[in-house]
Amino acid sequence: MSSIVRSFVAVAITAAALYGLQHTTPGYGEITSPIAVAGKLGKRVAANAFTIGVANVHLARTVTTKRVGRTQTFTSSGVWVLVEGAAEARSESLTLMSAQWLGPNGVRYALSQRLSSVPGILPSERLEPGLPRPVLMAFEIPEGQVSGGTLLIARTAWSSLEEEVRIEMTDVRPDDIKPALVLARSEGAVPWTLRSE
Amino acid sequence: MSAEQRLTLRRRLFAFLVAGVGGTAAAAISFAMTVYEAANPKAVPLVAAGQPIDTGRWIITLHDARIGSTPPTGIKPSAPKKLLMVEFDLDNRSASTSNVFLRLFTIDPPVANLPPPTFYLARDKWIASGLHPDMPERMIAAWEWPSAVSVPRQLRLKITSQIYKSRDNLYGAPGWFDRDPVAIVALEVAPEAAGAVP
Repeated sequence: MSSIVRSFVAVAITAAALYGLQHTTPGYGEITSPIAVAGKLGKRVAANAFTIGVANVHLARTVTTKRVGRTQTFTSSGVWVLVEGAAEARSESLTLMSAQWLGPNGVRYALSQRLSSVPGILPSERLEPGLPRPVLMAFEIPEGQVSGGTLLIARTAWSSLEEEVRIEMTDVRPDDIKPALVLARSEGAVPWTLRSE
Repeated sequence: MSAEQRLTLRRRLFAFLVAGVGGTAAAAISFAMTVYEAANPKAVPLVAAGQPIDTGRWIITLHDARIGSTPPTGIKPSAPKKLLMVEFDLDNRSASTSNVFLRLFTIDPPVANLPPPTFYLARDKWIASGLHPDMPERMIAAWEWPSAVSVPRQLRLKITSQIYKSRDNLYGAPGWFDRDPVAIVALEVAPEAAGAVP
């Protein structure tokens, strides 16, 4: 009798242990997730392959782009977030293809492809070691995701075990939303100008 | 062979038999269920235009279909083309920006040699790129219809679905996986308006 009880207890303990192992084993996505490099708004963040600093964040309802012979106004059901900064490669030339706005609810908003052809936009800028370049990032996000967001910047969106700079976007509040921003090409050191209208 | 040894052997044999019969029964039931389901496929529900359809990753609301010669960009093509355009609202329900709406719906029954449609964002009147979560947009899909084939008066679209798996069966990686169609929407195709201003 006692041997039957003992074997039942042993089976139960094994089942519980296996259940625990099954539910705590990290998934493939977790064990190959990017390596986070934490940073702050307004400070230079140095990863191994590149450095990036975010200087200004502008919020707007519409963005008007002015190019030679063509003016186009981009509306959105949410808010435009334009992030100005500077980036530099450290040991070899590279392009930062991925920037994402991680909202407070955990949803990721990739760079808006609608503004992918404006000057200075991050994926179109080739970064060289020792030559910091001004870069621009444009996101389209719902108003509720503005405060408490985190900016994620990496070489690609899908690479595993690559570094990813995470900059907490403190002091970005939805009450600073401007009705309209004009983004124009500039011949100066910074290839764009931003002004509110 | 002692009596005790013979008893152990008989017990083992019994255990093997029980496990074997159980396993065989499970395999047979599973196989029979698969065959039955393949022989009696579940009918895909017919959904009216204007009704939102939950496909798992997206919520799609189909509005109308029309024939035209000018794409939604408003730029008239140099060579005349017959375009079949379908207007719909699309809402990304996943946790990241995605542009995987190309296989969201197909024409049922399939039309031979029909190139895949181009998707336009109504807001920009331009080719659509990735759609952000929780930001529904009005979109237009445009098929370049072959001149040899007549356009049906009623367009039947089959809407496919996807499910999210936090661990897939191969790598244990998270991802979206195709599932069975969830709805069929029949849209009346409006003919090209005579003398329409592009």
